[in-house]
Amino acid sequence: MLSNLGNILLFLNVILSLGIIYAANKNLKISGGVDKNIFQLSLIQSTSIIICFLVLIAAFIISDFSLITVYQNSHSLKPLFYKIAGTWGNHEGSLLLWSIILSIFSFLFLVYNKNHPKKFRLLTLIIQNILILGFLFFILFNSNPFSKISPIPSEGLGLNPILQDPALAIHPPLLYVGFVGASIYFSAAIASLITNYSEKSFSLSIKNWVLISWCFQTLGILVGSIWAYYELGWGGFWFWDPVENASLLPWFAMTALFHSLIVFEKRNLFYFWVIILCLITFTLSVTGTFLVRSGILNSVHTFASDPSRGVYILIFLSLMIFGSIFLLFQKYKKENYDLNRNSKETFVLVNNWFMMFYLITVLLGTIYPIFTDALTDNKISVGPPFYNAIIFPVVVVFLLFMALGPKAKWIKNKFENIRIYFFILTGAIGLNLAIIFFFKSYSLLSNFIIISALFLIISSLMDVAKALKKNKLDFARIISHMSFGFLVLFIGLNDIFSLEKDYNIKLGETKKFENYSIQLQNLDLKNYKNYQAVIGKLEIRNINSNQTNILNPEIRIYNKPKTLTYEAAIKTSLIKDYYLTMSNIDRSDYYNIKFQKKPLMAWIWISVIMIVVGGFIRLFSNAKNN
Amino acid sequence: MKLNLLIFIYIFIFFSKFTFAAENTVDPNQIHKNLRCLVCQGQSISDSNSDFAQTIKLVVKDLIDEGKTEEEIYSFMSDKYGDWIVFKPQFNIQNSLLWILPYIVLIFGGFFIFSFLKKRQ
Repeated sequence: MLSNLGNILLFLNVILSLGIIYAANKNLKISGGVDKNIFQLSLIQSTSIIICFLVLIAAFIISDFSLITVYQNSHSLKPLFYKIAGTWGNHEGSLLLWSIILSIFSFLFLVYNKNHPKKFRLLTLIIQNILILGFLFFILFNSNPFSKISPIPSEGLGLNPILQDPALAIHPPLLYVGFVGASIYFSAAIASLITNYSEKSFSLSIKNWVLISWCFQTLGILVGSIWAYYELGWGGFWFWDPVENASLLPWFAMTALFHSLIVFEKRNLFYFWVIILCLITFTLSVTGTFLVRSGILNSVHTFASDPSRGVYILIFLSLMIFGSIFLLFQKYKKENYDLNRNSKETFVLVNNWFMMFYLITVLLGTIYPIFTDALTDNKISVGPPFYNAIIFPVVVVFLLFMALGPKAKWIKNKFENIRIYFFILTGAIGLNLAIIFFFKSYSLLSNFIIISALFLIISSLMDVAKALKKNKLDFARIISHMSFGFLVLFIGLNDIFSLEKDYNIKLGETKKFENYSIQLQNLDLKNYKNYQAVIGKLEIRNINSNQTNILNPEIRIYNKPKTLTYEAAIKTSLIKDYYLTMSNIDRSDYYNIKFQKKPLMAWIWISVIMIVVGGFIRLFSNAKNN
Repeated sequence: MKLNLLIFIYIFIFFSKFTFAAENTVDPNQIHKNLRCLVCQGQSISDSNSDFAQTIKLVVKDLIDEGKTEEEIYSFMSDKYGDWIVFKPQFNIQNSLLWILPYIVLIFGGFFIFSFLKKRQ
């Protein structure tokens, strides 16, 4: 029953999309405003795709195993929360979520851009609906969440236990608003090219959408990292894994884009560059999806891959890329720039320059193994040491520019008081020395990174002081830039001061290292609704302060599907996290335990949240000014 | 003048501290992190609990005891198990583009911006 309802709604959406394209096309040819019917059609479209998704959620809640998707990804014993979250925790359901975001953004863009030319708005709508159709066809013919299975199984296969986590329940929706939100400025960019709408008011039509998608993308990446930290049990939060990179690539493009947009809005420069960035962002989102869902890359996060999906996305992607390039070449006109070498415009270009460097490095590292594998049959791995070696030295310089850039004036800048930067630099070097003096020394590169991060933080703080005096405060920029400085600082310190110990330990045994002792005091076997757990009780004692902490790592044996997972025990505080994992060693009564002390973890998360807060402040102030 | 002197002192202390810090010890944990667990999905030897990972950890320990450097251990591993096992791709002809292209982009980008602005002074 639900299956039929879902399929009908999907078909209805196809018809609605075609209807919108037809109506918009007709409306283009006549004068006057945008036809009221188009608004209604667009609203119905969003509503019906949401209902379609609700139908799927209902199928998950009542465990309707006649649907293959529900059968493969759910289980009647699963807690209700994860039954619901399971709806978008799989390939088919997540595509439906994609379509929802595509449709809602399409509707809202139409509603909120009444001041822009009619032709531009209608064309954006048409392009967006072509994208929607592309995804609907993909859903219907390749990844239909409403496909039936017969005979109807009595029980589902269950959701991969490591996906049963609150962070992972909200991670995909956040990330998709970012990823898929980028579609609307892709469509707008194409519409702008076709209708020659290249005035600076074009920037007003897209800038808030860029900001929204950027904020959500950042949050999505953050939640994904937090999940990886809690759930994957290695104590890190970023592994430069292909799937992680896929989420980072559009982020770089978005970041470059909203910086360029500032210049475009103010000075009417860089129109084509802005367009290219709009096109690149969504293209990279789809590329990321292709890499993740096709299973072409080996990743720790691969949960839904299938080659046949790859082919479809690849065709879709190629059409997008060739279409964009073709249009771009047709419409490209040489622009007249009048830029001063020392001006805000130049500094924004510098931001874009670094963003492109990061983007190309990460893209290259992600896809290079595919090429070596195909061309030479030699499989290589490109992992953290590569990215760290290439990117971190450049970050040092980047942070300095990030501190200086926002202070520059439009058109022609002059840095008035150069001495102040020497003072800031001296302060940063001094603080860095203090850290070395009171704690421990670290590598030359780490020194440079800490110093440049401190430089950015101190100079942002001085901006606050200066702006408070003049009563003209650009909070959004200052908070985001300063928090980025803090982020790099905390990641650096976290890396430098992490402590990691690995032992094989027996019940009752105690191990000592540095000023800690660790004892395996007890093992407990417990039965839960959908798994069994061996729970260890380990005591960590700080010998100096005689403080003790009890940590309870678990080995879980899930019954549906039958899997073994290792749950880390984490004791979080503002200064440091204790992170402990335990695993059994076959044919022995020893347990392998891995203890880590990770300083300042909480502050890494807080820094990213503050970066996003800056984005939202800018968004609200934009909304207020309009 | 005072300021310059201050900076000079800082820089001096900073570098001397650094040179004192540079000890040459091989950290097995670091090496485990840079080796891929071949039987797992995208995990490093350090994160994995598999038999394979346990074996590699023992091999690494032996190699360190033999006095091998970090780089020697990586090349030993990639000779034995293929390039797939090391997370840091070796710098050779096949991987030259991977290592060099980012910097070409960086230099070219900087050059582009610079020449672009110079023309329009």
